[in-house]
Amino acid sequence: MRIKLNRTGAAVMLVFLPVLLMWSANGAAQESRVGKLSGNAKRGKALYVRYCIFCHGPNGDGQGESAPYLDPKPRDFTKALFKCRSTPSGTLPVDSDLYDTISRGVHASGMPSWAPLLRQERVDLVAYIKTFSSAFEEEKPGAPVEIPAEPTTTAESVQRGSELFQSMNCWSCHGKDGRGHGPSAATLTDSKGYPITPFDFTSGSRFKCGESDRDMFRDLVTGLDGTPMPSFAAAMNADQRWDVVHYIRSLSAHKTHARLKIEPIGK
Amino acid sequence: MRIGVFKRIGPGSLALILLLACIPAAHGVPAFARKYGLPCSACHEAWPMLNNFGQTFKDNGYQLGNGRDAPIYQEPAYWPIMFRTIPQWHRENNNRQAVDAIPGNASSGLVEKSVTTSGFDLGGLDVITAGTLYQNISFLIQPFIGNSSINLSQAWARIDNLAGSHWLNVKMGRFELDEPISQERSLIINSTGGAYYSYFFTPSGDRNVFAGIGFPQLGVELQGHSANDYTRYSVAVVNNSNGTGGSPGNQDYDVYANFNQAFETPWFGKQQVGLYGFFGESPTYSQTQNGNPISGTGTGNRSFYRIGTYGHWYVNKTDFYTFFMHGYDNVFLGNGVPSNQPFSLPAGAAGPTWNGGFIEGHYNPNPRLILIGKYELDRMSRQANPGIRSNSGNLDTWTAGYRWYPIMSPRAGLAWTQEYSRIINSGAAPLSGQDEIHNSYLMGFDFDF
Amino acid sequence: MKLRSALISGCTLAALSVSVGMIAGWARPVDAPASVKGTVKFDGPAPKPSKIDMSQDPLCAKAHPTPATTEDIVVGTGGALENVVVYVSDGLTAHDFQPPEQPAVLEQKGCQYKPHVLALEAHQKLDVVNSDETTHNIHPSPNNNREWNMTQPHGTPLEQTFAREEVAIPVKCNVHPWMKGYIAVFKHPYFSVTGTNGSFELKDLPPGTYTITAWQEKLGTQTQKVTVGASETKTVDFTFKQ
Repeated sequence: MRIKLNRTGAAVMLVFLPVLLMWSANGAAQESRVGKLSGNAKRGKALYVRYCIFCHGPNGDGQGESAPYLDPKPRDFTKALFKCRSTPSGTLPVDSDLYDTISRGVHASGMPSWAPLLRQERVDLVAYIKTFSSAFEEEKPGAPVEIPAEPTTTAESVQRGSELFQSMNCWSCHGKDGRGHGPSAATLTDSKGYPITPFDFTSGSRFKCGESDRDMFRDLVTGLDGTPMPSFAAAMNADQRWDVVHYIRSLSAHKTHARLKIEPIGK
Repeated sequence: MRIGVFKRIGPGSLALILLLACIPAAHGVPAFARKYGLPCSACHEAWPMLNNFGQTFKDNGYQLGNGRDAPIYQEPAYWPIMFRTIPQWHRENNNRQAVDAIPGNASSGLVEKSVTTSGFDLGGLDVITAGTLYQNISFLIQPFIGNSSINLSQAWARIDNLAGSHWLNVKMGRFELDEPISQERSLIINSTGGAYYSYFFTPSGDRNVFAGIGFPQLGVELQGHSANDYTRYSVAVVNNSNGTGGSPGNQDYDVYANFNQAFETPWFGKQQVGLYGFFGESPTYSQTQNGNPISGTGTGNRSFYRIGTYGHWYVNKTDFYTFFMHGYDNVFLGNGVPSNQPFSLPAGAAGPTWNGGFIEGHYNPNPRLILIGKYELDRMSRQANPGIRSNSGNLDTWTAGYRWYPIMSPRAGLAWTQEYSRIINSGAAPLSGQDEIHNSYLMGFDFDF
Repeated sequence: MKLRSALISGCTLAALSVSVGMIAGWARPVDAPASVKGTVKFDGPAPKPSKIDMSQDPLCAKAHPTPATTEDIVVGTGGALENVVVYVSDGLTAHDFQPPEQPAVLEQKGCQYKPHVLALEAHQKLDVVNSDETTHNIHPSPNNNREWNMTQPHGTPLEQTFAREEVAIPVKCNVHPWMKGYIAVFKHPYFSVTGTNGSFELKDLPPGTYTITAWQEKLGTQTQKVTVGASETKTVDFTFKQ
């Protein structure tokens, strides 16, 4: 059967074809974006059911079957409150923050590194995780914090860092020797009311949100939301934060590396 | 799980029958799920088949690397042990079996008849304990309790991440060779289709039973992988004894090497290609006493090799295994003639060579259902004895099946499976020289606790 | 001409009253405003507050030669109950209230929150002040608002807002675990926190029928209904007991 296309028909097609193309391109809507990859919540849901549901629960509230046996508890995505972000305290993370947490895992918790998943799969998971809280539709994520270049570690910097560790009251939770047994440590709870222990800086560098100096600096600026670890954005300037980072490094005799280097996704 | 093959497959393939009866079984390990709180589907495409996350976990020495791997983080009462058994109903048929013309009358002469057996069965009990003894020391012990025997399918210890590097892992003991398309973790379990025949193939008249790559082997393996497990290699040095212990002998060692590389493609997923080779020598005779062979004293070694490539291809929820093997046995091995009796070789004898391979497809619409289809063929390209029919030993086999996982929890697993397989052995009928065809149908529950 | 000048004066008047309202915190000028006032009392012998041990931080301890006491139930003379948030929970017909320009202030003084219970409007600026020499962190744990946690050394300014109504958000300092306060956030200006005399007043209400709720951090909530006519003042009293 031949379809005759007259000029009107051609004009109609010319108008609608790009619309159709744009719609189909956006229909699998860009619900998450990390580097050059776009993620889709529908694909992410199939992956969530395969990998995540037993800890994080079918409703994303951290009430999976395994959750009663885990400490720390799995993240409750419905609260849109995340520890590891590049955005200021009280603001939503950007997509790459969630991607990095999925890829890196969370040391000393039940959250493994999901780096063996395809990058596209992890980006799809980010898109699905965001659907658990309406906050991601109502608000925009915060602006990622600036991380200036790190100055060289010097003895003076470490000394200044130790003085700030004192004056900023870090010791009240982390202890005078950084082992995590400060006077307030026993009283600390996370936002769900579960007991939580401050990090033991003498144990190496497997910090929960990344192990580089830049990661530690960023953690000082953003704080770890949902935990007692506050943001020092207002309390210290950049040089002071680097001093604290250098001091904290000096507390550990050894560096323990994560097994995986998370490959950048190409920004 | 023994794949019980208790019937003849064809002349000269007696060894193949016995070998098939000894194939250790596939497994998923709920003990790992219990340790980490992850579902089976996190590590398994559809257990026992592994996905990349699970393969990486295995290659890392059964460790997630999240600071909670070492046994000190487990409850003292926790012990990583799991059990697997498959209560089933199955039906086996051989279309041309040699039987007495009058049953019970040995002098009535043999005729070919179609013989069928069926009934309920239990494939034995796999017990597996596996995990980490300490950070970066992993192990696996797999005794198998069969209907009339108990033996140790696998038992090995592995030092993982030597010098902090995932490129250096050393395993010693009795272990499955490093094959991403794993016979151990085959999704098909019936006696006709459960084996990858290419892994065990021995030509007609060939007595080299020590060159199959499908059996666990005794030896030592160096294995390494990239951080995301996309690049992997392994080199193993093993006894030339097909993993049989007790009197390790034949004074000979074989080498198995594997290399594979994976890459991520947009839209389709992960694709993987690999190369492998198994090289060594097998004995052609041994010392005897009063004519009886003394075990472990194999000598008169002659060479063999098995080499090939394989791939694992994903197209979203569908994936394919492809496998190719080229095999060669020395002329003495191929004719079953001791190398100290070259005059016994038939005229025009040569080292047999063959090619084989399979393609296995899976459709995995969700973690609870997988459909499987497989086709395998093996073709002799040169027979050891020119007097043998050129297609002797050739085989073709088809399999179709599915596994459905009605429940999935981080505690235990249950699958319902139905499978059908059919094999054609060219010209292998014992009397008429026609094709001998076996088929198997199996349905049952696969319990994994 | 007359209309124009009438319009101008009308607009000016409106602008003036709006700006007055913004300064005063009552955004909506009301003809014949009514009000509800009353007292909140505690029935029974006043519970004895416990002493707070601030020895963990010498800078806190030296601010209290006699130890500070817990503030979860503060009963004054005549049984007056302090730190009760009294507010209109139902019956308002208008809903578009602008938050006042003036910030609400929460002060950390002597390693305690002053006031112990603060009420403010959604999107109203909250100034957090650290008058102590020691460093605090201020950590509200809301259910209906975004949670944040900021370290604040002495004298460092800090300003935040809350977007949604919530009665009430617990506030703590992780460094000084005894520090506890509450912030109540409202979408309207009709709220009051009782002082030492236990009294409250909700002013400039349009006439109507309202549900008045009183909330105390330990003793729960109580409600009463009241109807006020134009320019009428009604008294509503609450009594809490343990």
